[in-house]
Amino acid sequence: MGIQIDALKCTGCMACEMACGYHRDDGFALLSSCIVAYRTKEKKDYFGVILKRDEDLLIARPEGTEIKRIGETAEVSDSGKKADASAKPMLLREACDLCEEMDLGPMCIKFCPFDAISEA
Amino acid sequence: MENLSADKVLVVDLGSSEITEDELSDELVEEKIGGAAIAKHLYEEHADGDAIVIGTGLLTGTLFPASAAAVMTAKSPVSGKICHCPITLKVGLEIQYAGFDYIVIKGKADHPVFLWIHDGVADISDAAAVWGKNVWETTDTWRNAMGDVLIQTLVIGSAGENGSDFAQVCCNYWSSGDRWGFGKLFGLKNLKGVAFRGMGLLEIADAEEFVEMSLDVLEEIKEGNFVGHKGVGDLCTAMGEADISAWLEPLVHRHSSCYNTPYATNTFACIDHDPKQMEEPEKEETGVLITDIFGLIGFKKAGLSATDACRLLRDCARFGIDAAAVAELSQTSGLKTREAIQGALPELSGRITLPGNGIFSPWCPQQPLFSEFEDVGDDPVSWWERRMAVAYIFGIHPIFAVMSPEITEEDLVEIAAVGTELEIGQETLDKAVHYLLQ
Repeated sequence: MGIQIDALKCTGCMACEMACGYHRDDGFALLSSCIVAYRTKEKKDYFGVILKRDEDLLIARPEGTEIKRIGETAEVSDSGKKADASAKPMLLREACDLCEEMDLGPMCIKFCPFDAISEA
Repeated sequence: MENLSADKVLVVDLGSSEITEDELSDELVEEKIGGAAIAKHLYEEHADGDAIVIGTGLLTGTLFPASAAAVMTAKSPVSGKICHCPITLKVGLEIQYAGFDYIVIKGKADHPVFLWIHDGVADISDAAAVWGKNVWETTDTWRNAMGDVLIQTLVIGSAGENGSDFAQVCCNYWSSGDRWGFGKLFGLKNLKGVAFRGMGLLEIADAEEFVEMSLDVLEEIKEGNFVGHKGVGDLCTAMGEADISAWLEPLVHRHSSCYNTPYATNTFACIDHDPKQMEEPEKEETGVLITDIFGLIGFKKAGLSATDACRLLRDCARFGIDAAAVAELSQTSGLKTREAIQGALPELSGRITLPGNGIFSPWCPQQPLFSEFEDVGDDPVSWWERRMAVAYIFGIHPIFAVMSPEITEEDLVEIAAVGTELEIGQETLDKAVHYLLQ
């Protein structure tokens, strides 16, 4: 099982990010989430979702989904331009474990109000 | 307060540059719960300093659906009353995690300043570099200067600096729920704005139960009548303004939600770019995020094209002025073109229509949307004001509150008690609502 993201269904609400943060920290926080709403291009309304997996990053952009090797985060975070220093780098976050020890299952799927995230 | 809280109330005296911190007491939460009710309490405590209070609802920034809203409370130069407006998008969320539950700003600085609130630290910083800049330039300047593009801002433009009664405190780049002229209050205090960033953590008393209850409510919501609708066009249709959707459609790029809100209340209109292109555009400024339904409707009724209306919404956001007020006043002044209205922004004056009793921002439609609510009865104004009071206390997105009967007072008080382990029940809520409405 894996996770897939439909960026065009996504409205950038960040529920997935908070749900993942809860799974990591047993409280409400965003620092440890392995799924992150990409929202650094606010003025041009360009947003999507990044998921850190064991070997790579799943990047759901509005124009389509791509997979990048971990380490290519500068390109991920700012479309190949200046690196985005604002968020905790994906490199330092733990990979998605599909919330394997939680009865509710992957929390990002459960809490997405728009069903933009689903099992692959 | 230990749970769902940073346990800190910040008091900033701009006159003396003194910053103090207090704990948020359990007793106050058990009496007023949170959000607008505690903000009003703090306003009254600091009324001699003509205070502005920024605060979070009890559930703001949690996994409870639609917990997007923070609140700003002050005496409105428009109505002369103590009023409340919502703070939405991701700004309410950032306030919650920046380390303070409530921020009281009183007094007047002797030179332009801004507040930088980050990870439990508050600084009064010089704003000389941005005084005179518009809302967009100011947010860009702060984000660039601090090297963090996710900083969230409450900021004024020229309207607030120059004392317009309709000056608005904007959220990042966009219009906000401030229809009370709070932007003028910022200007009078020489306060250009407040920047927030935080990586805090909220503890939860019974985390598992809280999360399961939130999920139960979300599952009910996902069966709601609004499902399948999105954006400001559909909101307008639900309000009876059916022609807005088709008029706006050629400009619509995407719809977006405020934090954890199951309806996308915001619509991005591209006016300098192909709205149907999904790839990231080269241009930095391609359009406007429409966050203000009444501004949009007002410009449509003024006879403007959708493109001109959206350009004016962007002009208003940059200038930091209430677009709905601009639409109404420009109609009464006989201004008919975008250029004429834009040119008149610095001078617009007059009286505007404010529905309701002037406590909660009329930015939120004063009617149920998409759904029927059993308790509306023959008095929709009273229904709306109670619904707003409850939303503003808990931090629920006000527009979502009028479209989702699935969010009940019973659920809210129950989850508040679960999340905090404090004595919060329906009687507590009734008293807090009464306090707000009196």
